[in-house]
Amino acid sequence: MNDNSDVLKAAGLRKNYRKDKAAVDGVSFAFSRGEFVGLLGPNGAGKTTTIKMLTGLIKPSSGVIHYYGRDFHNESQMTKGLIGVVPQQNNLDRDLTAYENLCLHAILYGIPKDARRERIYEYLEFSGLTDYANRQVKTFSGGTMRRLVILRALLHEPKILFLDEPTVGLDPHIRRIIWDFIIKINRTKNTTILLTTHYIEEAERLCKRVMIINDGRIIVDGDPETLKDGIGHFVLEVYKDDKIEEEFFNTRDEALLALKDSTYPCKVRAVTLEDVFLGLAGRRINV
Amino acid sequence: MFNGICGVLYRELLIYRNRALKQMLTSSLSPLLFLIAFGWGFGRDVTVGGISYISFLIPGLITMNSLTQSFAISGEINISRFYFHTFDEYLIAPVSHAGIVIGEAAFGVFRGILATFIIFIYAFVFDASLSFNPFFLVAIVLHTFIFSALAVTTSMVVKDHSGQALINNFAITPMIFLCGTFYPIDKLPYAFKLLVSVFPLTYSTKVIRATLTGAEVNIVYVALMMFYCIIFFLTSLWALRKVEA
Repeated sequence: MNDNSDVLKAAGLRKNYRKDKAAVDGVSFAFSRGEFVGLLGPNGAGKTTTIKMLTGLIKPSSGVIHYYGRDFHNESQMTKGLIGVVPQQNNLDRDLTAYENLCLHAILYGIPKDARRERIYEYLEFSGLTDYANRQVKTFSGGTMRRLVILRALLHEPKILFLDEPTVGLDPHIRRIIWDFIIKINRTKNTTILLTTHYIEEAERLCKRVMIINDGRIIVDGDPETLKDGIGHFVLEVYKDDKIEEEFFNTRDEALLALKDSTYPCKVRAVTLEDVFLGLAGRRINV
Repeated sequence: MFNGICGVLYRELLIYRNRALKQMLTSSLSPLLFLIAFGWGFGRDVTVGGISYISFLIPGLITMNSLTQSFAISGEINISRFYFHTFDEYLIAPVSHAGIVIGEAAFGVFRGILATFIIFIYAFVFDASLSFNPFFLVAIVLHTFIFSALAVTTSMVVKDHSGQALINNFAITPMIFLCGTFYPIDKLPYAFKLLVSVFPLTYSTKVIRATLTGAEVNIVYVALMMFYCIIFFLTSLWALRKVEA
């Protein structure tokens, strides 16, 4: 296995659930080791379908996927061991304990029997869940379940981790704990991460690279700062009677000058990734 | 493949451990009612093909009860597919489809065989005279594998829980009542005889009854049971592949 080659390379991925409409319409990208990528887009844009194709839950209608140069379709058993998946739902066995859930994962991923216990406790420790080892999952809070699902995906030490909407439905405090945990995984284990989200703020905080998908196509791919630079640094929001209009400026002074001339209530703020998306897709992302 | 079988069995047995008593109780009631209604209520002095009706009925109840329990795994797979999504864990893991199918089917065989014990206890209580041919053990494994593999197939094909209920109503229930579990099929009209000749339960009932009543086991029927095992194993693999399409 060559560490210099792309961890993941996808070319021309397409998925048609119906004949006349593609849910994902020919997307291509490559990730290198340790990259932290966000896949952004509104509901129904094709984020989950893309992740499902990349993780083997559904087959692409066309296109190819390679992990470390190995074909995902032809060598699926070998390549599936390289990836970790955190699905949208906490798909844990609620009647089993955390340890039993992890042990099932260890068996499925072929972690040898004599190494299982040690590995499970090492990762429980890494995730701060050691005290929960022998408690039934159904007694856990949403945030704890989420951490356990992420920990489970790490147990076989994957090279790339897929996180599908990892913080959806969590309160702001727990969301930050999950963010810190994901950053820790990326930094300490150098795991490549692909995260889907429709929370723009999440992508802006975490990702070094974002891809914006809309209507099944990737319309933008780059690092958040460069993307923001492309449309200007400051926004003037003009609160008109029926809508908020946005104007973009390179400097704060230019924006303030325009503000002075306006007869409507106004606000000047820094450009966010959401502005980039709005400029490109022309519609508001569901937050 | 081995990791898949072990993983699936590990999970199913852990979950079963918590529910074993409930499920044993559930599976013990309906055969008891059948025994009281048909055995005492109606068949006390009746003989069928030279043996008492109770002795005829007991092997039928063994096939029925083990079928019901083996096939019941379909409901559980449905829940894990559609509600808790735990089945996805198998699909994304580096295990073969054959491993998943064999693991699930092995659990179905286990549940089916457990369900036969209660009938043997009833046989003793109701004073049925049975003989025991060790070939029964082979027959019961084949029988429960057929319906476990069928359960895996149907649970992969259906799109939701109500689809599964439909299959139970239109395939499993008629089979239980038509395939010679409660009466010999040669009493059926010709059209029905033709119909039941395609149902696998017809053959497993004949073979299992033969092993428990001292009759000769027809090797053709055993071959047919093996045939159904292979067919439903293949349909399971096909259906599981379709899930990922």
